[in-house]
Amino acid sequence: MADLTLFSFQAGTTVLHHLDIRVKTVLVCMLSMALFTAGFSACLACFLVVYPLMCAIGMPMYRLIIRLKGFILLLVLMAATRAVTVPGEPILSVSGIEITRQGLAQGSLVGVRFFLVMVIGLLFAATTRPAALKSAAQWFLAPVPLVPEKRAAIMISLCLKFFPLILSRAGQTADAVNARCGSFRKNPVRQIRFLTLPLLKKTVISADHLCLAMDARCYTEHRTDPAFESSGRERLFLGAGTGLCIAMAILSRSSFWMIFW
Amino acid sequence: MTQTDSLRPMVHAALFVALICVGAFIAIPIGPVPIVLQNMFVLLAGLILGPAWGTACVAVYLLIGLAGLPVFAGGTSGIGKIFGPTGGYLLGYLPAVLVTGTISRFLGQTPFRDILAMIGGSIMLYGVGVPWLKLAFSLSWGQALALGLIPFLLGDAVKIAGAVVMARKIRPLLKE
Repeated sequence: MADLTLFSFQAGTTVLHHLDIRVKTVLVCMLSMALFTAGFSACLACFLVVYPLMCAIGMPMYRLIIRLKGFILLLVLMAATRAVTVPGEPILSVSGIEITRQGLAQGSLVGVRFFLVMVIGLLFAATTRPAALKSAAQWFLAPVPLVPEKRAAIMISLCLKFFPLILSRAGQTADAVNARCGSFRKNPVRQIRFLTLPLLKKTVISADHLCLAMDARCYTEHRTDPAFESSGRERLFLGAGTGLCIAMAILSRSSFWMIFW
Repeated sequence: MTQTDSLRPMVHAALFVALICVGAFIAIPIGPVPIVLQNMFVLLAGLILGPAWGTACVAVYLLIGLAGLPVFAGGTSGIGKIFGPTGGYLLGYLPAVLVTGTISRFLGQTPFRDILAMIGGSIMLYGVGVPWLKLAFSLSWGQALALGLIPFLLGDAVKIAGAVVMARKIRPLLKE
């Protein structure tokens, strides 16, 4: 759960921090689509672009890997599952379980894609203030008919506030349970029950307190529309991002890596 | 009706969006589709918030993921995830929460009826997710069911049982 704090805003002065949130959102969507069909070479191209950006925001890859070890283990397990479930030419057989070449290739590719999507999401989250995300949601939803864009934007903003609250309440509840020797309980169902139910109760009560606080401050949906920050390099980033996506699409079509698989 | 009364459903819906996000991080990979806790919170949102706010809550969750924040299963995000093999499950959350909320609203709020509502929601979820998985991987129906439905049935039964207990604890708090 501590890994979740990684996916939060980190103050900084890099160009990504000052880039217009709308451009950042479009770039994330484009890269996500490009990665969906990307091969190994396209993933490598994407990594070569993303890595300097990670370093620029003060998150070198080794630190990222240490902090994301739980998620990376998940990806490795996912890849391993594919390696043994996808039918194909067997390269290793252990106790009747066959690892196939096609399964290994598919599993590794899916793992690499997911990792890159995760890193791009992390870059986005680390350089975007929750208020900016709320503004972007409101801007993108405004032309959509029948969607109350201001309410949806407020919900996004509140959700981002609840995220750390839930984690802090989870820590407090776990401490309280452990102080009452809850960790010595042998029944896992009771262990989970005595952790989750008080946690849910606390978070709902916190949500009610938030309602009262918003009411006390005369909250209304009709607020001043947001102003967007601009770094002046939006066109450059949009052009570079589009170029990268096109390059990834071309590389994905090439059969260079198929020689190895 | 005070201002606080009109704010509460929106704030509670936002809380459930956060819970669904947290649930997505607790994932166990058993194949192309991982076991995640997020669908338990999706069904719980239907039970607690009702069909309208429950659907709004899931729509906002999908929107956050589409925008790029890593809130989908295993910390992923983006529009590519929606078009991927598990995209059907993500889109299936919308009819699932709608059906769970509607059944719960019409049948009433007893544990047995909650279970029925969540079974209805789960049918909608797999009704969208499994055909999507079949199309994405060009599988036969048997393979799609074996990969995208059968491994999750036992886990879903446990999640439904957990959600019923949670719903019984949370509802009195919301009515106060």
